Amino acid sequence: MSGQDFQSEVALKVVGPPRWTPEPDPRVPPGDPATLLTINGDGAVSAFSGKVEYGQGIRNGFAMEIADELDIAVDSVRVVLGDTALVPQDRGTTGSASTRTVGIQLRRAAATARQTLIDLAATRLEVDSGALSTREGSVVFGGGSKSVRYADLLSGHTLTVAVPDEVTLKNVGDFRVMGKPSSRIDAVSRVTGSAKYAQDVVIPGMLYGKILRPPSYGATLRQIDTARAERIGGVVSIVQDGDFVGVVAEREDVAEYAIEAIRARWEESRDTASDWNLPALLKERAGESVALREEGSLQSGFASADRVLESTYYVPYISNAQMEPSASVARWDGDDLTVWCANRGPFAERDSLAEMFGIDPKRVRVIAAEIGGSFGTKSPSVSHEAARLAKAVDAPVRVSYDRAEEFGWSTVRPAATFEIKSGVDVDGKIVSWDYAAFHAGENAFRGQRGADTPYDVDNVRISVAASESPLQAGSYRSLGGATNHFARELHMDEIAISMGIDPLEFRLRNLSHERLRGCLTAAAEAFGWESREKRPGVGYGIAIGYDAGSFTAQIVEVAVENQEARVTRVTVGFDCGLVVNPDGARNQIEGSIVMGMGTALWEAVEFDGGRILNDGFARYRVPRITDTPEIEVVFTGGDDVPSSGAGEPGIVPIAAAIANAVRDATGTAIEELPIVPRL
Amino acid sequence: MHLKVNDESHEVHVDAERTLLSVLRHELELTGTKYGCGEGNCGACTVLIDGEATRSCITPVTSASGRDITTIEGLADGDKLHPVQEAFVEHTAFQCAYCTSGFIMSSAALLDRNPKPDEEQIKSALSGHICRCGAYVRILKAVKSAAGEGDAG
Ligand code: FES
Ligand code: FES
Repeated sequence: MSGQDFQSEVALKVVGPPRWTPEPDPRVPPGDPATLLTINGDGAVSAFSGKVEYGQGIRNGFAMEIADELDIAVDSVRVVLGDTALVPQDRGTTGSASTRTVGIQLRRAAATARQTLIDLAATRLEVDSGALSTREGSVVFGGGSKSVRYADLLSGHTLTVAVPDEVTLKNVGDFRVMGKPSSRIDAVSRVTGSAKYAQDVVIPGMLYGKILRPPSYGATLRQIDTARAERIGGVVSIVQDGDFVGVVAEREDVAEYAIEAIRARWEESRDTASDWNLPALLKERAGESVALREEGSLQSGFASADRVLESTYYVPYISNAQMEPSASVARWDGDDLTVWCANRGPFAERDSLAEMFGIDPKRVRVIAAEIGGSFGTKSPSVSHEAARLAKAVDAPVRVSYDRAEEFGWSTVRPAATFEIKSGVDVDGKIVSWDYAAFHAGENAFRGQRGADTPYDVDNVRISVAASESPLQAGSYRSLGGATNHFARELHMDEIAISMGIDPLEFRLRNLSHERLRGCLTAAAEAFGWESREKRPGVGYGIAIGYDAGSFTAQIVEVAVENQEARVTRVTVGFDCGLVVNPDGARNQIEGSIVMGMGTALWEAVEFDGGRILNDGFARYRVPRITDTPEIEVVFTGGDDVPSSGAGEPGIVPIAAAIANAVRDATGTAIEELPIVPRL
Repeated sequence: MHLKVNDESHEVHVDAERTLLSVLRHELELTGTKYGCGEGNCGACTVLIDGEATRSCITPVTSASGRDITTIEGLADGDKLHPVQEAFVEHTAFQCAYCTSGFIMSSAALLDRNPKPDEEQIKSALSGHICRCGAYVRILKAVKSAAGEGDAG
């Protein structure tokens, strides 16, 4: 948060590209070389990454990796995240997979530092470096009886070393930290209230801004009268620039009153889209379909099928509804802009601010505050708004959204409609698979995640189209991954049921993917699938999924009664390769299950003609502690398989598993979410 | 107006219609208490007033005057964490932790009143809180272990 210069007394600096993959990967370019790790003259270790902490425990994960490679204590590693003036540029690659490529590179940087320290010690002691090892922040020699501290080795030096192509990392067996449960290094600040979120940032001379919101998306300002607002004591300025109107005041509550005192007339858009007609509209308003995969011949596949099934599925817009509403502080020093905010992509945010004000990105510094649990979005507009107001009044300004603004003006998870046509032969093997998805949002890429089927099929077409979105579609935990999986895994049950085959057996029959099979069989065994007990009002459902390089299978038990469905038990098979932090991974998976349960059972953004109708928690139901099921997680990944993400994959199959279980309990097929209002 | 917060007395000059949450966060700079909804629906703003878990976002500051207010910053005894804080650390009962102060305050109030709550009692005491990250499994374990049910997890 402070402008403290971490580089001041740096004795050893390790530089390199911010990311690394064993094979060059065109989708994840390594990035430009930058400082990855430093050790100061006093031995203090800092690591730098463009990633940000949003509750996934990334700070802890990186600290553990570095601590292990460098043989130091986890809590002695300072992990600097998301400050564009200090950390390597991360070109906005999001998702758990790229996090892993950063983590592994930090490990390699730490190993490079360790080797440098050993070499320094070898020169100083005039011994062969092979005779030296490291332990607790020191290089040890003489059979472990003597040691010299890193700080002593570095004193008087200023070294810069690059991470070489070949770096020897520690073996799994030598980890002291990774793979073992550990408390998060930031834990105490989280339970004592001292962690600072964007909503908490206060800087000297800061004023408070509030934005005048139109009644609906696409409305234009026709008339405005600010006279009454201007007279309120404590109001510094009313800023108007076209349809952008904001109040700057000495206190937040004053800014709120002032906004309410403004009289404005808006002309609302005539768009007739609503959550009622959206399922059909998404297809009607879709752009061109992109074929992600096309193999074999669908026609001959369907011709040879014993049975052909066709279904349509729909998932509504979902609100991120993160607990911390968006907030941002902006300060101008001449033409230099500093912004404290909670955005997952600080560099993208920096660039968009630079573009908005027509200045060089180098003049913009974005500092990511602790982020209050945003799996996907923090409205980027909040920083734009704060910067506009700050410029107009020539003083630092904080804009904090209230809950209704958060529901109404943050981005939402894209709604989507799916059409699936499948053909199966007499043996219950899928012979033809035609999958078409229509995701709301200008960006077709978003809807591609998870669209492809992991099941074996020779004749296949996977196509995804981006459709005009009446609401502002944005990111969410796992993006389109969760929605695509919902459609596919529901259809898998559709086929299984129509063929009279057990859903587990049907999946295994069509699945040769080893890691997914591993998850599925492990989950089935832990759950006791074979011995499940059929009782009235109780149902069981299965779904599998892949995301961010990881694989999962989930089995759930639900109880349906009086128009309510309750998830009572969830068993998860999960393969994310080597598990660096098992407790952290479990925490993420449990969170994904709970979050996904909300999307399955209750959540949907209701809107009509651009007006959000349920913009508060009283009208938008999210999971609570009383809804929480028993969750069991079984890790099935191999220790020799590189780690992949655990933050997002857990959410991808859960809604389908729940829907399949509700169908099992009620006998009625589910084609749309959320489930409970349709029971 | 007089406010007693975390055993310290403060004289504050504020409009009577302001909420306790706004005064705590803005005048006293106690930002550990969070704003989540401002409507009493999420629990993020929970503080103790005379030991009672209270939503500060819907509490007029006047009604808290002269009473004993405890916020998350005042729960620990110096460096010694409150058993509930201790348990939240041990079980990593959070992800982003934005909701955490609220959950901890309500749990502390519960244990004060009922040192051995059963699972249903814990759930019902915390049912007014939202954790969007879905850390409920952990939160439940942490509160159970703070209540001394041995290792619940
Ligand atoms: S902020 Fe008070 S209950 Fe949500
Ligand atoms: S930990 Fe993020 S909201 Fe609870």
